[in-house]
Amino acid sequence: MNGMQEYKNRTSKIRQAMRDRGIEALLIFDSGRHNFLRMNYVAYLTDFISVGPETMLVFPVEDAPVLFLTPSWDIPRAKDESWAADVRPFREFWSYLSKTPAKIGLIGREAMHVGLHDEIVKTLNRTPVNAKDIIEDIARRKSEFELERLRKAAGIADAGVRALHEEARPGLKEYELAAIVEYRMRSLGAEDNFGMVVAHHHNNALHPPTDRVVQEGDIIIGEITPCIGGLFVQICRTVVLGQPAPVVQEKYAILKTAMRLGMDAAKTGAPASDVAAAINGTLIEAGYEKYCRPPFMRVRGHGLGCGSSAPGNLEDGNQTPLEEGMTFIVHPNQYLPETGYMTLGDTVVMTESKAEPMTRSSWNLYVKE
Amino acid sequence: MIFGRHSVLKRGCSTWDPKQVPQAEFESRLDGARKAMAQRDLDALVIYGDNYSFADLCYLTNYFPKVRGGIAVVARDGAPSVLLNIGSRDIPFAKTLTWVDDIRASNQVGAAGAELLKEKGFAKARIGLVDSGQGFPLPQLEEMKRALPDVRWTNEDALFEPMRLKKSAQERNAMRAAGRVLDGIWHDAQKVIEPGRKEYAIVADIDRLARDAGAEDIRILAGEKRLQPPSFNRSAGLGTHWAVYLAVQHERYWAEAGRTYDFSPDAKLQAAYQKAHDIVARMAAQLKPRNPVAAIEDTARRQLGEIYPAASAYGLGNGIGLNQWEAPFLNDEDARQVGARSVGATEFAENMTVALRAAFESEGKLILFGDSFLVTADGPASLLGR
Repeated sequence: MNGMQEYKNRTSKIRQAMRDRGIEALLIFDSGRHNFLRMNYVAYLTDFISVGPETMLVFPVEDAPVLFLTPSWDIPRAKDESWAADVRPFREFWSYLSKTPAKIGLIGREAMHVGLHDEIVKTLNRTPVNAKDIIEDIARRKSEFELERLRKAAGIADAGVRALHEEARPGLKEYELAAIVEYRMRSLGAEDNFGMVVAHHHNNALHPPTDRVVQEGDIIIGEITPCIGGLFVQICRTVVLGQPAPVVQEKYAILKTAMRLGMDAAKTGAPASDVAAAINGTLIEAGYEKYCRPPFMRVRGHGLGCGSSAPGNLEDGNQTPLEEGMTFIVHPNQYLPETGYMTLGDTVVMTESKAEPMTRSSWNLYVKE
Repeated sequence: MIFGRHSVLKRGCSTWDPKQVPQAEFESRLDGARKAMAQRDLDALVIYGDNYSFADLCYLTNYFPKVRGGIAVVARDGAPSVLLNIGSRDIPFAKTLTWVDDIRASNQVGAAGAELLKEKGFAKARIGLVDSGQGFPLPQLEEMKRALPDVRWTNEDALFEPMRLKKSAQERNAMRAAGRVLDGIWHDAQKVIEPGRKEYAIVADIDRLARDAGAEDIRILAGEKRLQPPSFNRSAGLGTHWAVYLAVQHERYWAEAGRTYDFSPDAKLQAAYQKAHDIVARMAAQLKPRNPVAAIEDTARRQLGEIYPAASAYGLGNGIGLNQWEAPFLNDEDARQVGARSVGATEFAENMTVALRAAFESEGKLILFGDSFLVTADGPASLLGR
């Protein structure tokens, strides 16, 4: 599907939702503070990832949208690459705003600074209604256009795992190890990466890399999350340098069981909490109930943002139904007292009936001799 | 001002070596903050920072958020506290990056921040809010203020600006180290920038050079005719001309530079690049203590002549340090772009750090040259050691 067809599909659904709610125009904001757990609403309607502090899409129910942004020097890129034909410097937003219709919805408050919000309220002489659910509702099921990008990102994530398998070795510093994975993925076109790769004989948690030198016998844990066209795919895997102690294989097998049961629980129509319950149940049965709670663990997966982050966190109490087209990571990553923290997880897409993994790497503990 | 595509995670080398920047340095900064609080009759400060804009939070605590934001709470006496939007299992790692003992975790920084202020006795107080990066998410800030109806809030975004304008000896060392990393990247990047290669593959090589050198974060913008972030959609091979802007964060401090690679035999383009060098050199010559900040723009205007308006599109420069863009700003418009209320200083002073750049079009191509400098008693010193 080409981009303009996708744009037309999205805008027609959003305009219908606006009419249903009597909203005449939407103000859609992003701050350039990209967060992979949050949706970038401007990117959803423009296919444009901004770099400056202010990006505001004014989206009238009838007329053509106008994209206002800083810095002004990025306007030519926005005109070339975004779906918005009318792109203007952000300073022109204020005079435009004063002429917009009466019933206005605001999307992107989460990324907005109080000063900007106050100025909008002052200019309009009223507080616009929070209308983010209009986009959230439409975006939660990924389109074929998005899935195409996500499949490309998934292939790149697998390539990142292969880089780790091929090049991990004692003597590297943690940050060099992380750079190896990043390099492989960027070379294939990844634009960003929520990536943490660290190594220790007993990891306490994932964290950005340090200058620690990787040792023989280390357990390398990785959360690798490349981005293509603003959409992220995550994969979590564990590598051991040298033959692991039997207890490592034994305990890692619990993660694999939890992963399989978590995947089985991810049925279309089931609540997101079912996945968490299946994973936690496996660990509780293995005697690790206290390790299923903070400070050891919290969620068993989550939506991946910049696109829709539905269904949110896979955790107890999240009754959001899993719908066809949703994408999210299932990860029974776990701290266990005998082995430390180990990682395993795949991004999945919900089909008509169940979750299908988008990444292809083996779930097995990878032993690097 | 040059903005790059902000990464979703600060994923480079993350360490703190107290031998390089000792706790005493931060205690001295804390004393400075408390003097400013006393002058303003503030009972406490709430200092916000996130992975996009962490300068004030980091200046005081040495911590820089990796993903989402957090706050430091500083009272007129007693130990400061830091509340971060991280998981509780992430606290031990966070503690390796800061001298502050009291590190707390919550995914509701607004509500938990209000509780922290109450716990410290500030339910009814005068509190200064420092959010110079304009990043405190609106719903969280509203929640914090709603939970503290008897607090009188004042905007103190600029409170740390005078303290951060002139870099201490430790900061100068850190910035020279960032400059050396950047210089090494430029040196090695020459080997990977080749016509015909995909732009994003070259960017991958440059990114690798930076990360292998211990960079905490990187910004790359490049292009033939304009600066733009790399995209998977741009898969055509590089032509004969490429202008590159690169900024590197190393041990919290940024250094930036711009270079142009031209593989054509076009003498006009070579001459234009030399002109960009000369303009930056002439602007840098103004970096002397007590020289007016406005001298940079005056110099650029004289050198660039009629192309000055177009050539200043990316900005001619700005202060640089814990933030990619900080005081001194060269003009009010530059300051406004990043939410600062003023240029911060009208005269240069010893130990300020400034990035300068010349970017203009020649023969339909972008020509870019830029460097980062320290203001010394003897004039400018390139942080890249050139």
